[in-house]
Amino acid sequence: MARPVAHGDDLGGHRPAPVYGLARYRRRARGADRTARIGMAVFLGSWAMLFVGLFFAYGFVRARATAWPPLDAPPLPRLLPGLNTLVIAASSLVVARAVSAQELGRRRSAGASLALAALLGAIFLGLQGLVWTALWRGGLVPSGGPYPSVFYMFTAFHALHVLVGLVALTWLALRARGSSAPSPTDVRLWGWYWHFVGAVWAALYVTIYLV
Amino acid sequence: MTPADQVTPAQALMEAAQPIHAPPTSFWRKYVFSIDHKVIAKQFLWAGLLFLLVGGALAMLIRWQWAFPYRPVPVVGGLLFPSSGGAIAPASYQQIFTTHGLVMIFFAVTPVLIGCFGNLLIPLMIGARDMAFPKLNMFSFWAFLLSQLLVLASFLTELGSAGAGWTTYTPLSTNVGMPGLGQTLVVAAIFVTGVSSTMGAVNYVTTVIRLRAPGMTWMRLPLTIWGLWLTAILNALFVPVLGSAALLLLLDRELGTQFFLPAAAAVRGGGDPILWQHLFWIFGHPEVYIMILPAWGILGDVISFFSRKPHHWYRGTVWAMIVVTVLSAMVYGHHMFLTGMSPLLGEGFMLFTLLISAPSMLIVLNWVLTAWRGSLHLDTPMLFALGTAFVFGVGGLTGLFLGDISMDLYLHDTLFVVGHFHFTMAAASFMGSMTGVYFWFPKMFGRRLDERLGKAHFWFTLLGLTIVFGGQLLAGYAGQQRRLFDPFQYEFIRGLRGLNRWTSYFAFALFAGQFLFVVNFFRTVFSRRARPADPNPWRVTTLEWTSTSSPPPFHNFDRIPEVVRGPHEFSNPDVLRLTGRDFAGQAELLPGGGRPAVAGGKG
Repeated sequence: MARPVAHGDDLGGHRPAPVYGLARYRRRARGADRTARIGMAVFLGSWAMLFVGLFFAYGFVRARATAWPPLDAPPLPRLLPGLNTLVIAASSLVVARAVSAQELGRRRSAGASLALAALLGAIFLGLQGLVWTALWRGGLVPSGGPYPSVFYMFTAFHALHVLVGLVALTWLALRARGSSAPSPTDVRLWGWYWHFVGAVWAALYVTIYLV
Repeated sequence: MTPADQVTPAQALMEAAQPIHAPPTSFWRKYVFSIDHKVIAKQFLWAGLLFLLVGGALAMLIRWQWAFPYRPVPVVGGLLFPSSGGAIAPASYQQIFTTHGLVMIFFAVTPVLIGCFGNLLIPLMIGARDMAFPKLNMFSFWAFLLSQLLVLASFLTELGSAGAGWTTYTPLSTNVGMPGLGQTLVVAAIFVTGVSSTMGAVNYVTTVIRLRAPGMTWMRLPLTIWGLWLTAILNALFVPVLGSAALLLLLDRELGTQFFLPAAAAVRGGGDPILWQHLFWIFGHPEVYIMILPAWGILGDVISFFSRKPHHWYRGTVWAMIVVTVLSAMVYGHHMFLTGMSPLLGEGFMLFTLLISAPSMLIVLNWVLTAWRGSLHLDTPMLFALGTAFVFGVGGLTGLFLGDISMDLYLHDTLFVVGHFHFTMAAASFMGSMTGVYFWFPKMFGRRLDERLGKAHFWFTLLGLTIVFGGQLLAGYAGQQRRLFDPFQYEFIRGLRGLNRWTSYFAFALFAGQFLFVVNFFRTVFSRRARPADPNPWRVTTLEWTSTSSPPPFHNFDRIPEVVRGPHEFSNPDVLRLTGRDFAGQAELLPGGGRPAVAGGKG
């Protein structure tokens, strides 16, 4: 751990060399913030295990299946979900911008970024809705065997997480404009959650749509 | 050495991080929607003990069935089973053994051992004013209560409660085997109680990392805290896997997905019932350590306290507990030797299973060596601790038979399995819980339980548990299958009728003996004449006894203590010379400036 050098005088007139990572050290969370971050990290690690369980189920069912996808199933689109991957990646970047803006005290900028991220999240859900309706009309229904079961379960459960994040980001954006501004830790931790949801989507896109 | 009225910089930091708040005054904030970890601990205790009674009563019905199948249950039979003339019908029997297991594991032992003691002890033993996230703690309890209500509601549904066994194996637990709302409600209850456990685990893990008092290094933590912390890690990692399984099963039941249904396999490929077993046991095997690790921790401390000796090889016990925690995640396949898994995989699981007994037995050995030539004080908590060590030893040894594939082929799904896991998960977890209840009761309620009733309760419990589950081991070894509605319709089990009957008689005695505890508990909590407890009635060292009152104030510690030594400072001649006592509190500064050996000893 780098320790900040306090006074040049202590070093007998030599100017202290710039300490690598000093600014980073000064930004290290302390006290309640650090506690909140550790708690969130533990929670996300724990919640990730739920998705690990689901991915295990997917791999297991797929490994046991005679044909995957089944011969009569409509092919899953790749373009629209691919576009969605870009959308959610962009919104993750925007959230990262919001976090740093909030830390620097630029509240208007933070609020705008949060609103944009929420908008991108809504676009994601809209596109996902299009994918669902197209497939449903094409005859892929959840009760049609394990293949559609896996598809709908994964995408719907993930969309539920997006929805939760969407509500939270909107709420933070509204508060950032008003008088009761959210703390930087609030924004940062919801940002973590949003990145988590994005990472799950990336894994999901690769395994469900591509492979 | 700092004088007692000065605050060290480290203490000042912790004080600043955890300011003292005014205690709540309204009834609702104080007792119902409380964020005080001590109150939440009591809420978990009441909820857990109540369901312990429910689960125990269900066990009595099972024992009645195995002793006297088709005969009306005395006293309560007409009320519970009016349609079958007071006798237990097959469908009811299925629900009884299913909910017995679920209630005991998720809704009785877990809340008492983890919900109650985790909440009560983590802040008190590490020197914190509350949990890291007090509100999350409150939500954890209310989610838990909701799951209990879901279980109770399932009994009121048309087809009754869940009936697929506590393991909820598919396809029996899908709509094919268990139509009806009851099973759905119970699966939902499992999901909700999982969410509650996860919330608790996040809180426990973070609290121990962040809120240890100054000087409370990892190797000065009481073993109880080690047990609870490792349990919380296992909970955080593996309860969500059960959540994923419950989620998939709910989807199968309600939305018609096909994860677990092998139907129509020829057309489109089918789901696979074995998938449930994988997901369930990935969670399920860590779960049995989730239920025993807190008890191990409690034993490690209590045996040292009542032997007036430092715990033998504290670091060894800590590392053994860590190794068990890691290994527990790698053995789940031993529940599935008979599912046609690859023999190579099976041997791997067998190897790890047998390996896990090495650190476990190291822990037991350390308990024995702690008590060895100690000055044993056989108060009720100590009796229960020794009893726990005994029943856990029996359970662990019988586990070796089951972990071995060639033995397991014969013993699989017999009462031998039932006896084995009842010795570990039921007997050891229950007696470990009781060790904790008797030991920390004065801290929780500020009163002393009656010792004579406590000792009588101990003997009933120890002998009862050993004989009842020992009877199951014998019956299983003779080939009696578990879960049979009427075991004696099989010719080869008919000879075991006497054994089953006698086991049942002892089970009834065991259950009756528990009312000694109920009487003792209620009398002490509510009677005005109960003896008030000193701050440190057992004369032990950890912070909750030495640095605060009984019961502690809302903010736990007037000043956050600065810890100067490990948790088991007993019978040290230097301490005796300086204070005239055979123990020194973890944060106690000895008069005259003790030598470094006294002040700085680690464990």
